[in-house]
Amino acid sequence: MDEHIQVRDMKPLLKINDLKTQFHTEDGIVNAVNGITYDMNPGEVLGVVGESGCGKSVHALSIMRLIQIPPGEIANGEIWFNGQDLLKLSDNDIRKIRGRDIAMVFQDPMSSLNPVYTVGFQIVEALKLHKNMRTKEAREKAADLLALVGIPEARKRLDNYPHQFSGGMRQRAMIAMALSCDPKLLIADEPTTALDVTIQAQIIDLVIKLQEELGMAVMWITHDLGIVAEMVHKINVMYAGFIVERGNVRDIYKGTLHPYTKGLLGSLPSIDEAPGTKLISIPGLPPDLVCLPKGCPFYARCVYREDRCKYERPSLEKADSNGHLVACWRWKENLTEGVK
Amino acid sequence: MTETNLRSIDVEDFAVREHRSLWLDAWHRLTSNRTAMIGLVVVVIFILSAVLAHFLWDYDPKTDLNYSVKLLAPQLTTSEGSSLIHIFGTDKLGRDIFRRVVHGGWNSLRVGLVAVSISLVIGSILGLLSGFFEYIEMNAIESLVLMLLLGVIIGALPAWIARQPFQIVGYGVLGAGSVLLKQYTDIKKRYRFVIFTMAGALMGVVFGIFSAPLVALVCGILGLAIGILLANPISGNLFSNIVMRIMDIILSFPSYLLAIAIVAFLGPGLEKGMLAIGFVGIPIYARLARSAVLSVSQKEYVLAANAVGESHPRILFRHILPNILSPIIVQATMGLANAILSAAALGFLGLGAVPPEPEWGAMLGESYKYLSSGAWWAVLFPGLAIMLSVLGFNLLGDGLRDALDPKIRI
Amino acid sequence: MSGENSVLVQVKNLKKYFPVNQGILFKRHVKDVKAVDDVSFTIKKGETLGLVGETGCGKTTVGRTILHLYKPTSGQILFDNIDLTGLGENEMRRMRQRMQMIFQDPYASLNPRMTVGSIISAPLDVHTKLNKAQKRERVQELLSIVGLNSGFVNRYPHEFSGGQRQRVGIARALAVNPDLVICDEPISSLDVSIQAQVVNLLEELQDRLGLTYLFVAHDLSMVRHISNRMVVMYLGKIMELADRDEIYQIPLHPYTRALLSAVPIPDPDKASRRERIILEGDIPSPLNPPKGCNFNTRCPLATEICFQSEPAYVDVGSNHFVACHHAG
Repeated sequence: MDEHIQVRDMKPLLKINDLKTQFHTEDGIVNAVNGITYDMNPGEVLGVVGESGCGKSVHALSIMRLIQIPPGEIANGEIWFNGQDLLKLSDNDIRKIRGRDIAMVFQDPMSSLNPVYTVGFQIVEALKLHKNMRTKEAREKAADLLALVGIPEARKRLDNYPHQFSGGMRQRAMIAMALSCDPKLLIADEPTTALDVTIQAQIIDLVIKLQEELGMAVMWITHDLGIVAEMVHKINVMYAGFIVERGNVRDIYKGTLHPYTKGLLGSLPSIDEAPGTKLISIPGLPPDLVCLPKGCPFYARCVYREDRCKYERPSLEKADSNGHLVACWRWKENLTEGVK
Repeated sequence: MTETNLRSIDVEDFAVREHRSLWLDAWHRLTSNRTAMIGLVVVVIFILSAVLAHFLWDYDPKTDLNYSVKLLAPQLTTSEGSSLIHIFGTDKLGRDIFRRVVHGGWNSLRVGLVAVSISLVIGSILGLLSGFFEYIEMNAIESLVLMLLLGVIIGALPAWIARQPFQIVGYGVLGAGSVLLKQYTDIKKRYRFVIFTMAGALMGVVFGIFSAPLVALVCGILGLAIGILLANPISGNLFSNIVMRIMDIILSFPSYLLAIAIVAFLGPGLEKGMLAIGFVGIPIYARLARSAVLSVSQKEYVLAANAVGESHPRILFRHILPNILSPIIVQATMGLANAILSAAALGFLGLGAVPPEPEWGAMLGESYKYLSSGAWWAVLFPGLAIMLSVLGFNLLGDGLRDALDPKIRI
Repeated sequence: MSGENSVLVQVKNLKKYFPVNQGILFKRHVKDVKAVDDVSFTIKKGETLGLVGETGCGKTTVGRTILHLYKPTSGQILFDNIDLTGLGENEMRRMRQRMQMIFQDPYASLNPRMTVGSIISAPLDVHTKLNKAQKRERVQELLSIVGLNSGFVNRYPHEFSGGQRQRVGIARALAVNPDLVICDEPISSLDVSIQAQVVNLLEELQDRLGLTYLFVAHDLSMVRHISNRMVVMYLGKIMELADRDEIYQIPLHPYTRALLSAVPIPDPDKASRRERIILEGDIPSPLNPPKGCNFNTRCPLATEICFQSEPAYVDVGSNHFVACHHAG
């Protein structure tokens, strides 16, 4: 995977500024996303990594303005895309961008594809809506798209229903639908989590090829640190609605700075570890998003914590000039496991 | 959950949410639902007034008569001929409508409770067993009990024809024998058919001979058929199928008409009305229970109970039953409303409650012909009583459904 | 690690078919889903045997059939040299005391209407004659063994997180001191950082209590971490069985090789250096397995013989078994 970020022009494609998303529930306000700031360049592949409840999916839905407004609320922030703040657009305008300039692929293709319409119909519909094509033209394009994503006998399968596809094929069909309008940004939210390992490899391979061919930016959201190692340029590590570390792939894996990221990487067994190695587990549980702790969100589970961490929340700061950012009071000390 | 003082990373010391039993949670949800609370208040008023009236306010409908004040409009003062204040007016026989409406509540409550109890208990048991044995194999004892009962039930027919009740025992034994034979011997299917057919026919003939040769013949043929049916122990799946098809048959009759037919067969009286309404409601609970059981028995905790080695009764009562209560409770609440309505319908037609028993539907039935002469009160108040009580139960039922089965949203 | 070499479980030519019935009123047996199609292996006392495979391979069915949660269609299962297939109901129930299971979904494997204490003491109710106080004591002991506060006895499952619920499931499985614990994808539903907690716990318990595990999973790196030996299944049949290190270093079956190459590696350098075998096509349906070798639809090495006859399951030395015409 080519690590150099393809820089077509220095202007970022997507610029997110202090995004905050909340949900109003009967238990209180759930602070799902707590002020994240980052940007993506055209053609860049970004991995957004974190466990359940970290806010990675919610932030993606916020970009697409797909958050259900009550009970959800985008409380703060700006999302600059193509010179427009997506959060300030009207419903009509955001609908023009959704599906055309930014496309999304979800985890469960069975519930994202409408079971009562054929796959071809759904792709054609998107094409007619966004590109004003006529049905015949759209069908041709749809068949080409299915072939592009590697579905054999593409023309025949246009008239198949989603349940007639296998899991991997459905996901490919979803990708075809997402690509139909040549988006500049493809957001993939855990697209392979529900798939078998060999099928997952196929899909990852496909997305890498498509990205190289079409040059679009890809945001790959997942909890699997293994997947992103081989396909992304940059990684955002999220925890409790915050970005706790951000940087190039190599920096994140080889020069890990944040204790959470270290813990995550340590809890993964590696395929060539020595026998008898114990996994390093992060004790405890993620914090309650309704009452976030005052200081660092990772305080309760961090083995390197000190008093300052309990009361003051660290913000993302530059660790080097290569774009490696980390939110920790002690990152400079270059802590290793067992040292306290 | 803001930690103020963590000694060490000893974080498995707290659970994630505060301790509240599931029922308490549901109760809180119910009380915060305004329409459900309105329903609850109406239901409580209804029950209290019915119970208190029955036990504290004497009323003998047979002696209640006062022609001098018949069809009096609602009054706020006493009038000539009567020392009572008729706030709801009087009916065609001069009886105080208010009093009759309140006492009628007791009858409606009784009908509702008894009818729903019959439907619920019988229907739920049938549904529970059907759902449970549809995919889980019956063990030897369960099979034995089933075949025994089956033999007894089917054997009742030739026994009745031949007027030889002892036959029932014989057929029961035949049913039981089928299970024992399968359990302990290896006789092939077709041989079993032959054996049982002959045994059944023989039994029919032998018992029939005591009456008449023709009876013997008929019973012999019946016995043959019964033999074929009992030859092989019925699998759980088949049992479930049969029960559900019988429920379908009952459901295919319009419920009011079926209830009327049953009451016509059984004779007049509120108790017969209860039986009829109860019977008609059985399939609803059977279906509900069965579908709830099917979904629960697929859950992993039932599989886990099997892995632990728990017996079928234990799984049924500890794991399945508590988890299917919610939809049944909701249905029972709505069913009460329905039962009151059905009782009123029967009463209106002159079936069910026997006059002069106060019953809202009967009151309607007696008085609607006086509507054209302007006696609206005799129709309005019983009608209102029906409407309000049914509405109350329905609102409560809706609220219960939301409280017991909330839709979780992210 | 495996202590004695004695065999605890022997699975011989196990088959489990699920009948498919069609028809409206009178259903007829039309075809079978061949979930497990002639599988044989052993589990040694004290070891962890990893069982991996993808959708439709039958690994979950194998685990459940060993426990007799499903009745085998044919074949034998011997537990401690006792043939389970012929046992009556009561005898089977007694055997269950010695073999327990941990389930995949921590949200569905605990009865939401029972307290944690009742859930854990259920096996004690069934298999022992302890009185109430003794059971309570045992439950508290079990809770602390799995790392939960013993005061949790009266709480309900919905008050706990996924990882905590899984610990309750483990406590339940250990309640009657079983010899064998079948772990049916116990960590797949958990977050990554919690997975490590649970796996460490399982390993610790194995050392302390001398348990034998059959670890069924699809996450190959985790299975490798915990197992002594591994079985790879595909569409109801065993493709390869070997010691842990052997199977990772010298995989003989093309499916095993493809599976290993597809496992994501959390290290960008190693990931870019390794050989990627991308399989074509989808996993066939177990209703319609291919003729010949089950893997022939996707195998990069498939030749004519692979479409005609099933490969034999052979021992190629050092306890390494493969079923492939082109291996060994």
